[in-house]
Amino acid sequence: MNPENAIEVRDITKSFKIYLDKGSTIKEKIVSNKRRKYEKREILKGISFDVKKGEAIGLIGENGCGKSTTLKLLTRIMYPDTGSIEMKGRVSSLIELGAGFHPDMSGLENIFINASIFGLSRKEIERRLDDIIAFSELEAFIDNPVRTYSSGMYMRLAFSVAINVDAEILLIDEILGVGDAGFQAKCFNKLREIKARGTTIVIVSHSMGQIEQICERSIWIHKGVIKAEGTPRKIHPLYMNYMGEKRQEIADKEARRQRKKNGQEAEEAGADKEDRNQKENREGTEPEEKDGSRWGNGDARITKIGIFDAEGQAKTAFRTGSDIRLKIDYEVKKTVKNAVIGIAVYRSDEMHCYGTNTRIDRLDSFSLEKDGSVELYLKKVNLLQGKYLMDFAIESEDGHTADYYKGAASVEIFSVIEDVGVMRIDHEWNIM
Amino acid sequence: MKIIKELYAYKSMIGSLIQRDLRGRYKGSVLGFAWTFLNPLLQLAVYTVVFSAIMRSGIEDYYLFLFVALIPWIFFSSSLTGGSSCIFSQKELVKKIYFPREVLPIAHVTSQLVNMLLSFIVVLAVLLVSGKGIRPGAVVYLPLVILVEYLLSLGIAFITSALTVYLRDLEHILVIIAMAWQFLTPVMYGVEMVPDQFKPVFMINPMTPVIVAYRDILYYKQPPQISTLLHACLLGAALLAVGCFIFGVLKRHFAEEL
Repeated sequence: MNPENAIEVRDITKSFKIYLDKGSTIKEKIVSNKRRKYEKREILKGISFDVKKGEAIGLIGENGCGKSTTLKLLTRIMYPDTGSIEMKGRVSSLIELGAGFHPDMSGLENIFINASIFGLSRKEIERRLDDIIAFSELEAFIDNPVRTYSSGMYMRLAFSVAINVDAEILLIDEILGVGDAGFQAKCFNKLREIKARGTTIVIVSHSMGQIEQICERSIWIHKGVIKAEGTPRKIHPLYMNYMGEKRQEIADKEARRQRKKNGQEAEEAGADKEDRNQKENREGTEPEEKDGSRWGNGDARITKIGIFDAEGQAKTAFRTGSDIRLKIDYEVKKTVKNAVIGIAVYRSDEMHCYGTNTRIDRLDSFSLEKDGSVELYLKKVNLLQGKYLMDFAIESEDGHTADYYKGAASVEIFSVIEDVGVMRIDHEWNIM
Repeated sequence: MKIIKELYAYKSMIGSLIQRDLRGRYKGSVLGFAWTFLNPLLQLAVYTVVFSAIMRSGIEDYYLFLFVALIPWIFFSSSLTGGSSCIFSQKELVKKIYFPREVLPIAHVTSQLVNMLLSFIVVLAVLLVSGKGIRPGAVVYLPLVILVEYLLSLGIAFITSALTVYLRDLEHILVIIAMAWQFLTPVMYGVEMVPDQFKPVFMINPMTPVIVAYRDILYYKQPPQISTLLHACLLGAALLAVGCFIFGVLKRHFAEEL
């Protein structure tokens, strides 16, 4: 093992037998041995990484990708099928909070039980006792039985014990959502403090923001293998982009399903089949189209909307403050004189965030005569975290709508700063 | 060796699990911890009434004859039956946190041991009060016998607790096994009453020499025979070794099976 490393993971694999019909009674084991069906599911297919001493890394990935399994292998709750894991130093895990709490015993007694499960000796617990109680903010209730605690108090006590276990390697699984906002901030500060002391940290989280604040490196696990690894700034946009696309796919599927359903209803009602066929023929070439989400006289139609970052890479997820380039392709059936092209941006909860068009922006009037495209360069999009939908429209000067396409495109915005509201206002503080 | 070192580091976990078990057991009851003493005392009262008034046996002071063997037997059988579920009942812990898995059976058996030791206070008190008396020359062997029984119980708890994770039925089967085992151990009768053709069965039963030794010390007030002690030590060590081996193999997949 390299002396600089705290954790070395080499080519680990792990698969689970998923019993379709789990029987662990003797009768089932003997009688239906051959009929017991199970699926062998490969969760990890060969993962290798090193973590240096004092380094903090984040494991990210969609549900079921194997990141929690990796963490479980690191904690030695489970063992890999093949490959090896080496770790140097005392390992503590913040995976399960309140392990071994006995409801009838006092908070104080439970601190001792819980901390001892983390492998602390009585002396070590006594030395940390004041810190633990102070951190939990439960001084007044510490002698009451834990069953009288509210769930928030319970979690606070549990977290206080877990975070005060000094370890050289700390493994954390998605548990920073404990308590109210104030307590969460406190936990976070404590984590930073622990890190500053040189503790090696591995975090599994869905919160990109949390990982970016603590970790130097992110590892993106995808379907049991490492898909990408590097600084959070580099990896997270890739991941968010992937997730955004995936969500888009699901949304498309749902839209198709809805349309099919509606179509069936229409058929039952004896509606014009041709119209529907026509519509389905168009589907391949056009972006998402929902019923009632598009109207206009059809003189010109939007055919495609491309979303790119400043470098021209196609993307659907962006960090707050980044540039977004939009390319709108259109086809023209009949010349649209003095055309106006517009955009409206809505947040997923229908909040209208922004809207403009070529007339508002006082562009010289132009006419659409043949198929073409326009580019819209959105600079420094300061919208905060969330999903945003965009409407696009082509109108003629007299206000006749050629094509209004509602929700034609969507982007995912993510942020690492925890400011709130709709958009970020550039600001600075001056403490006088 | 590594596991022993690790278990030593987790000694406070074992301690607090035992404490939780002992204190949690009677929590909420009016008499609380007093039940630890009341329970064996009341049992003794029942045996005394039954065996000296109703079902008289030829053995002198039969209730004492039975009682000095029954208390150690209860320790063993609760390690056997209760021990089987000690990992399964803590599955949330096992699935979520790392600790040496041996901690759970060790804590269970040790808390049963503490219970037996407390019951022994009652036993010794009864022996003194009833006029039967205690002979210090014999009682000095008691700790050794207790230690052997502890290791034996640990061995069996390792085996049953690990197997029950994979086969839940064992929990119920073991209740029957424990009952049968009790009748195949000279608890209710003396070992000299066993017919010759069954003697081999009794000799491979690790509890036979243990119970014989207890009875020698407390009922007959004489030091146990060296051969009995050796026999007990040998079987105890063998069972513990088997138990450690089986547990060591099976523990790796506990988290997945639970």
